[in-house]
Amino acid sequence: MTDYFKYLLSPFILSLHAWGMLEGGAFAWLGFGVIFWVLLFDAFLKPSHHRRDTRFPWVYDIIITCTVLACFANIFLYAHLAGGSHFGGVAPQLGAFLGSVMIGFVIGAPPVHELFHRENMALRTLGRIGQCLVFDPWREITHVVTHHMHTATPTDPDYARRGDTVYGHFTRTFPGQWKESYHLEKMMWTKRGRKWYDLRNAWVFKATYFAVFIGVLFALGGVKGGLLACGSLILGPRMMLEVFNYCNHYGLVSATPGRFKMHHTWNHLTPFTRILALEITNHAGHHDDSYKPFYELEPDETGPKQPPFILCVIAAFVPPLFMLMMKPLLKHWDEHYANDQEREIGARENARAGWHELNNDESPTTPSAGLAAA
Amino acid sequence: MKDVMSQPYKSGKQSCRVSVSGKNDSTFTINRNDMLLKSALDQGMDYPHNCRVGVCGQCKTKLLSGKVSPMVDLALSPLSNDEIENGYFLACQGKVRGDIEIEVNLGQHHVVPEQQVSGRISLWKRLPGEVIELRIALDVPFQYEAGQYAFLSESGSFVRRCFSFSDAPPADKNNAATEVGFLIKRLPGGQFSEWLFAENRTGLKMWLHGPYGVMGVDDPDVSGLCVAGGTGLAPVLAILQQRLAQSAIAKFTVIFGVKTQGELFAIDKLEALIAQYPGRVQLLPILSHEAVDSDWQGERGFVTELINEDLGVDYGQIASFICGGLPMVEAVEARLLKMGMNPDRIHADKFMPTG
Repeated sequence: MTDYFKYLLSPFILSLHAWGMLEGGAFAWLGFGVIFWVLLFDAFLKPSHHRRDTRFPWVYDIIITCTVLACFANIFLYAHLAGGSHFGGVAPQLGAFLGSVMIGFVIGAPPVHELFHRENMALRTLGRIGQCLVFDPWREITHVVTHHMHTATPTDPDYARRGDTVYGHFTRTFPGQWKESYHLEKMMWTKRGRKWYDLRNAWVFKATYFAVFIGVLFALGGVKGGLLACGSLILGPRMMLEVFNYCNHYGLVSATPGRFKMHHTWNHLTPFTRILALEITNHAGHHDDSYKPFYELEPDETGPKQPPFILCVIAAFVPPLFMLMMKPLLKHWDEHYANDQEREIGARENARAGWHELNNDESPTTPSAGLAAA
Repeated sequence: MKDVMSQPYKSGKQSCRVSVSGKNDSTFTINRNDMLLKSALDQGMDYPHNCRVGVCGQCKTKLLSGKVSPMVDLALSPLSNDEIENGYFLACQGKVRGDIEIEVNLGQHHVVPEQQVSGRISLWKRLPGEVIELRIALDVPFQYEAGQYAFLSESGSFVRRCFSFSDAPPADKNNAATEVGFLIKRLPGGQFSEWLFAENRTGLKMWLHGPYGVMGVDDPDVSGLCVAGGTGLAPVLAILQQRLAQSAIAKFTVIFGVKTQGELFAIDKLEALIAQYPGRVQLLPILSHEAVDSDWQGERGFVTELINEDLGVDYGQIASFICGGLPMVEAVEARLLKMGMNPDRIHADKFMPTG
């Protein structure tokens, strides 16, 4: 039964953050501090392969639904407080901002992702509207169609190749996603025989609720509060989700696009990361069946694993550190997880990245002219 | 758009009963939450399919009762709105959530398991019409059926494209092929084809993943009309070779369409079959964009223009094998239906050029 209470951690931290913001002063740092220390503590814990109690799934669904709604309330609260003089000095303002950034990424994004993958229409609709909290109402469509179909190949804008830094990844992934969003939306309206401006088109609904959401932020916080709230969502869940994507499939290769195999993703299975991220870091299970609710996911005990999540995220912003961390992991992956064809692709990717030391004498590294990349 | 999802998701592995109505009524079971097509094929069932990734629409299935969850929005699939409204879904993208009843035509031919094998290019030969004849000597014997295709990729590359086999597999089904051939057209700007055409690639290591598709299946003794547009000739050649060898009586008319005389390719292979099986193969090349004042004495126009009463075939009694670009295949199918062909005897492989 305790499994159900574990997922109250997210709304609990959210409540602390909200309380801290209301108290102001040094307490504005409370949300940021709690998340940071929970994840740091988690980094020293052993991976957990515990499977969740699934006798009362509606309890989990109520918790994550309430979490999403609470996240909306939280960002509205932040906009309102930040728009006035509530926080006083620079330090509390910074604390509240960074807290909102972290809260948005760690607490807000996972339940939104969970819900928009669901089959139940009410939950899925909430997840879709919840995409406002990741500041991208089109995230679902590119994620579900493109990322899940083209995992671990350069055709997926969420994918980072060996040698790519997170900064380069940002410059590729955002335009790639926008282009893909447009392409998919156009497919849908064309397929349905509609003009692009037809009010029944999905993009119209998305643009409308997104505009309403932003309007509410500015209405509550004025220009200053609205901008700060939007900024926290952009730097928080919007950007950090791409850091998450960057890490989670970094350098892995698939020789069979569209046919996901469990070794095509990294996993993070430490207990608090699993809870806060709603098992999304049990990434192989999620990709294997994206409709499966988080509490049904089976941790992949033998799958590829990265160091603790917070370390990966921090290291990602220091490329030499990240590469130092990833090279031995990728070498191990090439030797123990990749099939023969993937090993060859990996060898060429190593050469492309300049990581010749990861290749042995037999690796096929020389690309034929013109076919080095997808 | 009709939503095929009707009940909340429930956890737990269990088996589900799939009742099939169609050409061959049957029942089978699969694990709950498994993909319908993959499970059916894993059990050796001849489930109509081709690409397996939600692009071709060949695994189109009608849901009569029960629940199936589509992996992606059906508007992003090749199904028409009418089909979706009438309960059709793609079996390759459909997860079965409980007992279901479906309508689909299951066949009765040997299903070839998927393989991922490597080999080296043993022949790289330029043909007219910006076509390359590519042959790959395989490291491991490979089984496939005439009319099927495979994904090809260069060793070390993410880029892969699918191409039909251009020759028949060994007649003895206990022997797998040790070398396979393809006819590949250069698509300007196409990643794979431009690379292939850039220089002689003989000796390079390649990977083959397949086989896929079910185009060449029909009664071996039934005569056939083969219609090929450009490199759609590849599966047609394979099917012709196989069916001419399998039957002593089946006859074939081959309509082969290209743009100009200078683009005609692989005619030697067709003529070799004509010589090997005298009286059983009629070849009709037709050019769609040949200069009016050229010395071409053969047919001019589109392939559909030859599909008429003068062709000398009994449309109601033959099978047809069509391969080419999507518009061409659809036009030929429509024409054949007007000429009275049995729709179950129309076997088509529609491809969209990807380069």
